[in-house]
Amino acid sequence: MKIRNVAIGLVFSVFAASSLASSGLAGQPAPDFALKSSSGENLRLSEYRGDVVMINFWATWCGPCRQEMPLLDELYSRYQRVGFSLLGVNIDDDSRRAMDMINELGVSFPVLFDASKEVSRLYKVDAMPVTVIVDREGNVRHIHQGYKPGYEQKYLDEIRSLLRE
Amino acid sequence: MTRKLFISLTAGLVLALGTAAIAQDAAPMDADAAMADAMAADADVAESRNEFRQLDQDVQSLKKEVLDLNRDLFLLEEELLFPANSQVAFFISMDVGEYFGLDSVSLKIDGKEVANYLYTEREVGALLRGGVQRVHMANLKTGDHELVAIFTGKGPHTRDYRRGATMNFNKGIGAKYLELEITDRVQKQQPEFVIKEWE
Repeated sequence: MKIRNVAIGLVFSVFAASSLASSGLAGQPAPDFALKSSSGENLRLSEYRGDVVMINFWATWCGPCRQEMPLLDELYSRYQRVGFSLLGVNIDDDSRRAMDMINELGVSFPVLFDASKEVSRLYKVDAMPVTVIVDREGNVRHIHQGYKPGYEQKYLDEIRSLLRE
Repeated sequence: MTRKLFISLTAGLVLALGTAAIAQDAAPMDADAAMADAMAADADVAESRNEFRQLDQDVQSLKKEVLDLNRDLFLLEEELLFPANSQVAFFISMDVGEYFGLDSVSLKIDGKEVANYLYTEREVGALLRGGVQRVHMANLKTGDHELVAIFTGKGPHTRDYRRGATMNFNKGIGAKYLELEITDRVQKQQPEFVIKEWE
């Protein structure tokens, strides 16, 4: 019985450690960055201070990203006027493919190109997609790795709660 | 009967006087011992007080030595890592900006890229309003160095524009400040990129 308990404890601690490693940025100030956007202008994260900002890392070869992006666009259209911003960060080497996908999906939120992967490294992106939610003070509050149907409800709850703060 | 009373009174008196005499002899002996004990105790207290004082002094001097060492190490570390003499700072400023819309600046010192800065619309606006931005700070050893600054943006007629400016400078003793200035050359209707040293 004791051995079983120890084994369960070990399994839990390994899970806890792995989730901590992936969300190491949670609670920390969001690392600042500036990237060129799909509209041609440069955007800097720190200039969105005061807004709740969602940073969504995606790639054209990622299926769940394609599934998630129209849903994120809905969130953006709905909450943009009450202080919510969404920055899509594309990590493809060739930004033309990303532009094609943006046009195909018809997303309206700004998409930034991180071809050199500098920003992805800053945010320790090791899965695709990765969604980071930053509060009005500029601190990372939530990190989601991957996408499964139903995650959009979590995003909605978190955004609404941060907008109320 | 009277005789018996007299004898018993005398015996009582003798006994009382004897006891008093014994008590009188004993009293000085007890006081001496107590005094000796007290003196010994005082000496012990004084000795331990001295020892404490000595220990306290030792601790204080050790503490001072540690503080001195800490200060020396701090100064040494600062001198090694951030020596004021090797400091070089690079600033960006813009004047007018009619012929050039700044997008990014890349700095190379002695062939090595040290900074790459992307400007947002607000940052360009701040530069145009007279702001000066410290784009990079480095530690360089004394001697000759080469600075290459590459500016990208929109040139006249909103065409993509990329220009470089090079400057060889000598790093002597003391901090050095270099300003990369973007100005308009009205005669040629072209932007001009100048690197100058602050005196």
